[in-house]
Amino acid sequence: MRDGRAISIERVSKKFCRSLRRSMIYGLGDVTRNAFGIRSRSEVLRPEEFWAVDDVSLEIERGETVGLIGPNGSGKTTLLRMLNGIFWPDRGEIQVRGRVGALIAVGAGFHPLLTGRENIYINAAILGMSRSDVDRNFDAIVEFADIGDFLDTPVKHYSSGMYVRLGFAVAAYSEPDIMLVDEVLAVGDRGFQVKCFKRMGELREAGTTFVVVSHNMHTVAGFVDWVALLHDGKLERFDNVFDGVQSYSRLFLGDGDETIEKLTSGGQGVEFRDVTVSSQKLKPGGSFSLSMSCESREALEDVEVDIAIYDTRDPDLYHQATNSAFGQRVDLPAGKSSLEVEIGPFQLHGSFAKVAVAIWTRGRKESIFWWRIPLELLEAPHAAGKNLVPTSFRVKAAE
Amino acid sequence: MPPSDESRQSAEVVVYRPDNSLRRGYFSLWGDIVRELVRNRWLTVQLVKRDVGAFYKQSLLGIVWVVLIPLITVGTFVLLRSSGVVAVGTMSAPYPIFAVLGVAVWQLFAQGLVAGASSLAMGGDMLTRINFSKKSLVIAAMGRTIVSFAVLVVLVAACFVFYGFRGYDYTPTLGLALAPLSLIPLLLLTLGLAFYLALLNSIVRDIATMLSVLVTFLMLLTPVLYERPVVSNDAGGIASALSAITEYNPLYYLVSAPRELVLSGQVADVGGYLIASGFSLGVFLVAIFGFHLTETRIAERV
Repeated sequence: MRDGRAISIERVSKKFCRSLRRSMIYGLGDVTRNAFGIRSRSEVLRPEEFWAVDDVSLEIERGETVGLIGPNGSGKTTLLRMLNGIFWPDRGEIQVRGRVGALIAVGAGFHPLLTGRENIYINAAILGMSRSDVDRNFDAIVEFADIGDFLDTPVKHYSSGMYVRLGFAVAAYSEPDIMLVDEVLAVGDRGFQVKCFKRMGELREAGTTFVVVSHNMHTVAGFVDWVALLHDGKLERFDNVFDGVQSYSRLFLGDGDETIEKLTSGGQGVEFRDVTVSSQKLKPGGSFSLSMSCESREALEDVEVDIAIYDTRDPDLYHQATNSAFGQRVDLPAGKSSLEVEIGPFQLHGSFAKVAVAIWTRGRKESIFWWRIPLELLEAPHAAGKNLVPTSFRVKAAE
Repeated sequence: MPPSDESRQSAEVVVYRPDNSLRRGYFSLWGDIVRELVRNRWLTVQLVKRDVGAFYKQSLLGIVWVVLIPLITVGTFVLLRSSGVVAVGTMSAPYPIFAVLGVAVWQLFAQGLVAGASSLAMGGDMLTRINFSKKSLVIAAMGRTIVSFAVLVVLVAACFVFYGFRGYDYTPTLGLALAPLSLIPLLLLTLGLAFYLALLNSIVRDIATMLSVLVTFLMLLTPVLYERPVVSNDAGGIASALSAITEYNPLYYLVSAPRELVLSGQVADVGGYLIASGFSLGVFLVAIFGFHLTETRIAERV
């Protein structure tokens, strides 16, 4: 491996077994074979086995911070564990230069009955620190964890926040050459998160190489130098972080469905015909309109038009409001008429949304229209996150 | 502060690939094993502290428990013996001293084996998330056993004092000083078997459950609570079976030698003890080597 390189992954694969029973049988077989010095033939798949990581290659230079992203089950954690030497590859080769630390299971090995002080030493030893490492950093660890008077209290009496902070503090001071981080930046309150980022900044400054696994694209976009996207065990490298984040988002868009759900298209004495939807693909900042011609036996005064927008990847309601929210009254006259609804501009981008349009007679007595319309919201380049907030930039020369 | 830039340049490169150990050759592996054990001394001590500390904090009765189980076992045998249900042979020392001493040494094996065998499976979460020396985890499991043994030694001493007042005439010999050393082969055998069973138990959990039953059975088969059976030549078949088992049971030699050193100052069957010790050393070396070759499979299966 070249001198300035921290990690070299060459055509690495790792397989796992779906069935627990077979897994035990294979395990016994492998162990026996290894014990007698027989090759494991690990490159061959046996029944019920699959490649969790498949033919992945990657080079990471010293001091780089790399984001490892991908959907659940794409092999990120497996790859991280292989870098840590917990799992060994079944094919290919991994070379790692220097001591590897992990911000993975913070507080693993803590014994609930032992005090914070005792656990700091035990946890540090498990993380590969020496006695002198701990002695030197003890005060910094306690200070970072901010556990105050609880240092000599058994950790089972800690709040969950204190427990995690102490675990994180020990790992954060383990002084590795390479630090593996698996989705732990979400721990603690805001104040603690700021501290964590500061500490990681210090380590980066000192030349520590970081491999960060995260589903939080904000963390990824703001912290890493480049990203590796894992999908179904395959890996793709993006030197431009935003390209990587967008490719990641696109993985979830593929399963989009353009079918409009027509739940109700009329009621007693009223019917909606010829509903036209402007477009189901919107550019960032675009709007979407609905034109509904209806025929009613009698005039329907003060109907309520309720519009809700959901992001299909996220159950949170993105928007919900009725016409009253905009101070508008909607009356449908007797006979034929046409109702135009325009929604937008959308700030949601790079996602799939559903727009639910519901019309009720006054006082929500009867539902006379209810459609759910899927929309594909195209993504804005060079932007991560769900919302695209219109922003302007101006530079003024100093007088 | 993290290591300086110069030290990073020279930082050691670790290679992970399938069947890595096999490609490197057996001799370099022994170096790896020794280096790993030496480098992880502090870790091992910390793991012992964790185990022992937690055990004695958890139960107010911690020490009482350690003493109680052997006392009940010995008490039962004292009862069986005095009612004539079992014959335990004849011995120079009072039977309770003989039995407590035997049980104390036996516990070192039995408890150590059970603790060691379940150590990896108990480590669960830690093993799959952090890369640390699994050998240390198995070795550290012996820690609590040794502490328990120390407590039992106090009990043995108490027995000596008690029977001393009642007229038991005991004169310490040089053998008494050698007794602690004579435990080493037993510890090696325990640790060696623990390495293998820990590995198996991390894959198939039934092992530890079976083991606690098995050691009780083994204790009854091994002359721990009774003297080595003496059978005259003309007694055939079943009668001589126990005698034959004992003759080939390394545990008999390993348990009785320390006891004989304490009680009489000399080992009755030195040859047997030496053979059993050699056997133990062999088991230990093969086990630690096999463990080293296979331990990377553990995290995948735990």
